[in-house]
Amino acid sequence: MSPMRRIFSLWLRDVGWLALALALALAALAAAVALSGVSGRYLAASLMGMAALAPLSLQFIGTARVVLRYLERVLSHEAIFRALADLRVWLFRGLAASSAGGLGFRRAGDTLARLVNDVDTLDGLFLRIFVPGMSAALLVPILAWALWREHAGAVLVLLPFLYIAFYLPVLAARTAGDNAGKAGLAMAGLRSAALDALHGLREVKIFEAEGRMLAAVQAREAALLAAQRELVARASAFNARAFVLAQAGLLFAILLGFFGVPVAAIVAVLVLTTAFETVLGLPRAGLLYGQAKAAAARVVQAAEAKPPVPEPDAPAAMPSRNSIAFEHVSFRYGPDRPFVFENLSLQVPQGARVAILGPSGAGKSTIAALLLKLAAPVSGQIRLGGTDILQLSTEALRHRIAYLGQTTHLFADTIRNNLLLGDPAADEARLWAAVDAAQVADVVRALPEGLDAWVGEGGATLSGGQGRRLALARTLLMDAPILVLDEPCAGLDAATEQEFLKVLNQATEGRTVLLILHRLTGVEQLDRIWRLTGGALISAAG
Amino acid sequence: MSRRSNPWVKSEQKLGFRAARVPILLALLPVLCGIAQAACAAALLAAVLRAGPRGGAVAAYGLGFLAAAGARAWLQMQVERQNFELGAAARRRLRGSALAALLALGPAALRGRHSAELAATAVDRVEAMDGFHARWIPATALAVLGPALVALAALRADWRAGLTLVLAGLFVPFAMAVAGIGAGVAAKKQFLAMTRLQVRFLDRIRGISTIVLSGRAADEARALADAARELRLRTMRVLRMAFLSSTALDLAAAASLIIIVLRFSPVLHGHGALAPTALFCVLLVPEFFAPLRGFSAVYADRMGAEAVAEEFAALPAAPPAVPAVDIRSVAAHGVTLAFENVTFGWSPDRPPVVQNLSFKVGRGEMLLLTGASGAGKSTIMDLILGFLAPQSGRITINAAEMETLIPAARTKMLGWIGQRPVIFAGTIEENIRFARPAASETELADAVSHAHLTELIASLPQGLKTPIGEGGFGVSGGQAQRIAIARAFLKNAPLLLLDEPTAHLDPAVERDVLESLKHLAAGRTVVLATHSTMAMDFAKTIGAKRLDLDALRYASWRSVTA
Repeated sequence: MSPMRRIFSLWLRDVGWLALALALALAALAAAVALSGVSGRYLAASLMGMAALAPLSLQFIGTARVVLRYLERVLSHEAIFRALADLRVWLFRGLAASSAGGLGFRRAGDTLARLVNDVDTLDGLFLRIFVPGMSAALLVPILAWALWREHAGAVLVLLPFLYIAFYLPVLAARTAGDNAGKAGLAMAGLRSAALDALHGLREVKIFEAEGRMLAAVQAREAALLAAQRELVARASAFNARAFVLAQAGLLFAILLGFFGVPVAAIVAVLVLTTAFETVLGLPRAGLLYGQAKAAAARVVQAAEAKPPVPEPDAPAAMPSRNSIAFEHVSFRYGPDRPFVFENLSLQVPQGARVAILGPSGAGKSTIAALLLKLAAPVSGQIRLGGTDILQLSTEALRHRIAYLGQTTHLFADTIRNNLLLGDPAADEARLWAAVDAAQVADVVRALPEGLDAWVGEGGATLSGGQGRRLALARTLLMDAPILVLDEPCAGLDAATEQEFLKVLNQATEGRTVLLILHRLTGVEQLDRIWRLTGGALISAAG
Repeated sequence: MSRRSNPWVKSEQKLGFRAARVPILLALLPVLCGIAQAACAAALLAAVLRAGPRGGAVAAYGLGFLAAAGARAWLQMQVERQNFELGAAARRRLRGSALAALLALGPAALRGRHSAELAATAVDRVEAMDGFHARWIPATALAVLGPALVALAALRADWRAGLTLVLAGLFVPFAMAVAGIGAGVAAKKQFLAMTRLQVRFLDRIRGISTIVLSGRAADEARALADAARELRLRTMRVLRMAFLSSTALDLAAAASLIIIVLRFSPVLHGHGALAPTALFCVLLVPEFFAPLRGFSAVYADRMGAEAVAEEFAALPAAPPAVPAVDIRSVAAHGVTLAFENVTFGWSPDRPPVVQNLSFKVGRGEMLLLTGASGAGKSTIMDLILGFLAPQSGRITINAAEMETLIPAARTKMLGWIGQRPVIFAGTIEENIRFARPAASETELADAVSHAHLTELIASLPQGLKTPIGEGGFGVSGGQAQRIAIARAFLKNAPLLLLDEPTAHLDPAVERDVLESLKHLAAGRTVVLATHSTMAMDFAKTIGAKRLDLDALRYASWRSVTA
């Protein structure tokens, strides 16, 4: 399905609102045409000394026109905002399915641009293309009938109308093509550059990169302005073309009056003035279509990216036991990358406490990523309770595992809300227990707002170690039988680390624990220790 | 509220109108063409009704109509392009000054503010000002001058029709103001909601992996849906009011058309001579309202500017430039750093983080800062970096007080390696060269080897040109740290601040990195904050002085309680 059709199909959920908005748009347009037609006829009839219509109908049509137009504006916006909200949520769900391993090369700034800008661009698709386009299409037979009634030749005036309403927009959309995409990309680039400069402000200051960063942002800005300038030039050219054509059509209608009924000429001119007014924006909207198409393509691509590991068609039942086994597993990040490890085997019995040691870059974290189905092994199998995890539903699998990664994110929210992410149902006592276990209770108690203190961006109001311990508390709150902790002690001083590891022994009673560490302190109570070096696991003790 | 518009908008308005003088005059020409077109069309229609010109004159009017239409189309095109340039120039100016101020302020500006929020100000809020400068300013001027021209033409033709238009024209701004006041208040709320939604999106997307692995994606999606619904409700509240002003316009247009038609029809009976005038007045109605319609379409841009003004006002002001007389030259090599009774706290109601701290690090010496996490190690680093200013006491570099040094001179002397290096999107090389883009190939290669990155880079097919994403995709925490160390090597500053440089490294790598740091530390003045025992041992072998912040705190606590 093309990206555009995918977006349209999403909007069908709000079909009632959309239909209502469209119906009102048509009614408002009909009232406008009628108002011009009736006043023209009335005026012409008076001029010719003929009997005139009752002015009452004029006032009635005038009022209807004003009221219908207002309702149309309100309802069409209501409809589009409903549709757009759906689109945002759908996009978030899509990203959640595909980006569990982190955004990777897909930059957060770029993704934000997709979410906010592109989704906003798509509202123009409805308000400025779909509604006026449909109105114009429905207006054609009405106009044809009205003109035919006045004079057979008058139908010819429809030609410039059709040209402006249907041919020029298509032409504009076709020529806009890449340029519209360019403007969207330039915008995303500008946003990323600004985010880079501000997110890395500390580095920027220390390396005196202010001028460079500003220049980078301004270069992106210049690219954006150039793309927009080109769009404006094209749009204004199309506008001029449509305007000249419409005026030629009007002149033609006037000249027809010399051959037919004079009254008809006046009616035709006034009706056409209104009709042309409604379609003059369409060629410009055609340019927008190109933009919306590019936006739709980006939005759909981001939302429908494949998850890193495909879901099984018919997931196997979740095993009752929580033992973990890696059997002859080989893995590399890409066909052109070296193997992280080959033929790796590892057993973690249910309820066991196992540590994997090794230098940084040896692939310790990759073991966790494979277990969480953030990546699939090139060969070999990983089993949970005897079942290959590729056969299990990813969500159910991850539900079994509480995981603390090295890049666990702290949200710009309160400490409480950050903790509740681990267990939304946790009560005050449980929250404090987790905070205690993670050795961060003193820090929280010292804050005037306690658990309701605000955690800055990425935990900026906390020190590195404090943020890390808060993330740990969140992981401990998760009620999962398997605990995978990747460097839980990074950022802790030696005394705190020992204290934590002692508490961990109690806090994880009965759970299967996989600790990923770069060294041991001696207080861990472990059933088994593996050492990962050079792509091979060696049993060290246990 | 929008009536007492804030001074920022006022000054923008002044700047905008000054820049738009010529484009506004240019925009009046198409209006004149429109009047000419209406006159020609009226004459032609009168001729059709056998009440106007005949013969050759008809052809002349026909040609006049086409010529006026052509000229109008061309002029309108130029007007649109000019208006775009107005907006472009304003955006360049605003974005440049906002970013320059934020960059000049440094991390102090970020404290308590989300970088996404600030980026949104620099990107989207500035884009929102495009409407103000490219559309609202020209449209406002045209909404006054355009209808005035048309009304003059109508008054000359028939005073009663002209008066109808003038009265309708006066009704419009009145009705718009009434609707606009409500819309203005609502528009501000809507902008706030929009900003919050955007910050929330970015934060949730940065941490999407954490959300998914915690099994909370569905809940978060629901929360986002709620936020989007709130945004819709707020926006609709603005629009329902804003559309009233458009409706006032529709009402005035329909009413004046009907009134003019009714005014002429009784007197026209049989009097063909009046026909061109009557038709001319009727055809002027759309011309009269077109500039007002244009103004009503951009009225929201003005409201947007009002809301944007608050965002810009919330931006911290740029720091005052240090006068040139205060420039001090400090010898590039051999730096002595001293704290004299320095006190710093985040707020008066919390105990100070650093209290009455004094120490001195001589040239080529190393100071080891220890203490539990949260004891104030990073705060001391930020004080030395100049991101924070002490509430009392002095920080001196070679006996010169920090505040008297121009920031650029101070920054040149400082090298820094932190706990969480920011990796910018780009290649590994770009990330290292970030420290000094002009560095030679040899210097770059040296930095790479000193930071022990050679092996990693050799293993990558694209080598130094390997792209790394936001947050350092594809490089582990240790590797990202080594890139930061390579940056410090490349910068080659005499005073080196190491803020937990080995916090995330395993022992083998830590030993390796400390070896590199020993190399880097040679001949430099170093402050090392750490709680790694290996790093402490390393500092001792170099002969570092140790400052234990916990012990200090304990001592001062004892002196208070004793």
